[in-house]
Amino acid sequence: MFSSVMSAAVLGMEAYPVQVEADISDGLPMFCMVGDLAPEVREAADRVRTALRNIRIPLPPRRVTVNLSPAHIRKIGTRFDLPIAASLLTAMGIIPPEHTGGILIAGEVGLNGKVRPVNGILQTVMLARDQGCTWCLVPEENAREGAAVPEVAVTGVGTLKELLEYLTYPEKGRKRAQSVPDWKEGEKIYPVDFREINGQEGAKRAAQIAAAGMHNLLMIGSPGAGKTMIARRMPTILPGLTMQESLEITRVYSACGLLEEEGLVKNRPFRAPHHTISANALAGGGRYIQPGEVSLATRGILFLDELPEFSRRALETLRQPMEEGVIQISRTDGKYVFPAHFQLVAAMNPCKCGYYPDRSRCRCLPGEIHRYLGRVSRPLLDRMDLCTEVSRVDYQNLVLERKNEDSRSMRTKVESAWKMQQARYQNCPWQFNSQLNAASVGEFCPLGNRESRVMEIAFEKLELSVRAYHRIIKTARTIADLEGEERIREEHLLEALGFRGADQKFWNPE
Amino acid sequence: MEDTYNNRRNTTVNGESRIQYIPQEDVRYPARLRVLPGMPKGIYVLGRLPDDNRPSVAIVGARSSSAYGDGTARLFAGELAKAGVQIISGMAWGIDGKAHEGALERGGDTYAVLGSGVDVCYPAGHRRLYEKIPKNGGVLSEQPPGMPPKPGHFPARNRIISGLADLVLVVEARERSGSLITADLALEQGKDVFAVPGRLDDELSRGCLNLLKQGAGLADRPETILECLGICPELKAEEVNEKKILLAKDENIVYSLIRLQPVRLEELTENTGFSVQKMMTVLVGLQLKGCIREVQKNYYVRTNSRIIDGEVFSDCGVTCEGKDH
Repeated sequence: MFSSVMSAAVLGMEAYPVQVEADISDGLPMFCMVGDLAPEVREAADRVRTALRNIRIPLPPRRVTVNLSPAHIRKIGTRFDLPIAASLLTAMGIIPPEHTGGILIAGEVGLNGKVRPVNGILQTVMLARDQGCTWCLVPEENAREGAAVPEVAVTGVGTLKELLEYLTYPEKGRKRAQSVPDWKEGEKIYPVDFREINGQEGAKRAAQIAAAGMHNLLMIGSPGAGKTMIARRMPTILPGLTMQESLEITRVYSACGLLEEEGLVKNRPFRAPHHTISANALAGGGRYIQPGEVSLATRGILFLDELPEFSRRALETLRQPMEEGVIQISRTDGKYVFPAHFQLVAAMNPCKCGYYPDRSRCRCLPGEIHRYLGRVSRPLLDRMDLCTEVSRVDYQNLVLERKNEDSRSMRTKVESAWKMQQARYQNCPWQFNSQLNAASVGEFCPLGNRESRVMEIAFEKLELSVRAYHRIIKTARTIADLEGEERIREEHLLEALGFRGADQKFWNPE
Repeated sequence: MEDTYNNRRNTTVNGESRIQYIPQEDVRYPARLRVLPGMPKGIYVLGRLPDDNRPSVAIVGARSSSAYGDGTARLFAGELAKAGVQIISGMAWGIDGKAHEGALERGGDTYAVLGSGVDVCYPAGHRRLYEKIPKNGGVLSEQPPGMPPKPGHFPARNRIISGLADLVLVVEARERSGSLITADLALEQGKDVFAVPGRLDDELSRGCLNLLKQGAGLADRPETILECLGICPELKAEEVNEKKILLAKDENIVYSLIRLQPVRLEELTENTGFSVQKMMTVLVGLQLKGCIREVQKNYYVRTNSRIIDGEVFSDCGVTCEGKDH
């Protein structure tokens, strides 16, 4: 008898529909599987056969053929065990065939009949919705994640026996569907807070401006000064995630199997890859393509410590996502697009030993300092809107019990700045000041006479480049937004100039 | 080896070498060197040789110099060059380079004595300086063209630097610094040695403080050196052009805290109690007026502007109105 059950394959971040067909016919006893299968999918035959026997349903001694169609998509992972079992049970006549219509099934099976969790359930359930399915059977551990799609009922399956029960009596199974989690915007708990940092007022201010306009931030300072501490607290002052953003992040984490128990991701991600990371690990890749660090940091912070130590090839991959918010990876088997709306925060030492300009400790020659800084490519530096120094806190400041501003109050200001930008850029394809292009800077950031005069003097005196000039105006726009002002005033420009990105002269200390 | 050294460039015009070789027998050979023992048989030169009839001062110091040293070297070189003194140095990183720059900025003459052939720019990062010097002075060496820089050449080069000078000024030097060799050679050659004092706790002042202890002249102002050379420092009409800069109250408070030693943003906010926003505004305002400079991200030093009776003068300023932000 022939049967068919719907499942899905996940490639990169997308799910593709896959029909799992089973046929039991006369012939010599054998189990045959076809349909462009990776080894772990082929092994499903042994897992499913043994698991079924262990729940006292032995396969009949006949010719069993399983086909996963369409045959041109590579099937990887262990997610096809459960649909294969369901398909076989239907083919054996144990489950009525009309009960498997409109249902999508995915999951791994152990030899004892236990169902184990798999990656990529969120996109699988989303696919089920798009394909017109009304019910999904997924491993119990993945049920909460799948339940985020309200149009589809998602039931967690713990064992093969339960699968059999739910498919035989579908009403019972549907009743046990996971409840849709209600989304509270901005709900999150971070283990860290800006309150814990004493001193570093300049760096904190830069962090707040960066967060308010999603500007990229570069921190320069000696080792152990607290650059990582500040970066780690950046997500805590960003406004809470919307449901849409959370789904975007969850899809990435689900595809990579990094999702923890809670279902949807509630915190903004903070990713700090080590500087030995390869270009592929940063951008996404692998034999079976998976999103890289830029995608794992989407809607959050990508922190690159020791910026000059990263390979040039790895850093160059950042340029496209920084412009477009997505990363495209072209491979022989197709083109993959992953989200990459991250905010870049980078940190570096001022020189090789890390102590310049403290000449009592630093003996680096100007040429050496120049070479060290020159390792970072200029196009990347050109995209850092803000730059600040972070220096070692002295002992008195360290032990002092101070009333520092906490993340919550910093976030309130950032939120209001985000609201101003939302209102201003309603009809534009961008959301934040940092995304303005040169043409729209003139439109959205007009300067008065006095302000123009300041920029004119600054342009000559500080030897600004055209790109730097626009960056400063965009940053000043964000500072004005933080103060809740519609007009950019002189002090906003001056502060933006103070935090301006690393310019030519640091890279040319002659 | 010499051919692979690819720093050679720009030494021929219309196929003719711009490098001149001046042997000791030549009348053009510097008179200051002729009278000293152990001087080279001949000298290669790109540009001109120092004028025997004009005073010359060698300014030397540490390669990994501080912002204070850089500023001081520039100031002394500039003021001396303006008074007509020829500035001699070694074109190394740090003090040497700043001395050449200071002289060139004020339109003076400056001479670099290299430890390599005159067609080899060492350090390579000083390419711009290397190309400017022959137009306002000369690049000199006893090494034949194409010779790469070798460690042994540098102490030998120092004897020519001190030999060409009437007076040697050491700006910043560590305890065992090559600049002290130059100072010793200068004493052997019977030249005056001056040193710029630094802080007691600064490693970079050790060498200079030792020199002062041994009786070197105290270089407190450029005028002191000029007096020693017998030049009367006179006020020239040029100085009238210096622009007076008005500072607002806040700016004055902040400016008074900034020295030639780099000061961090954090220190400034703590000492004044200003918020970061306000401090940033004041600092950038001062930068735009040309009173201070950012040497490294959020580290600030004074520029060579001078304060007379609480008013700031600078010759590189764009005037702004003094107004509180």
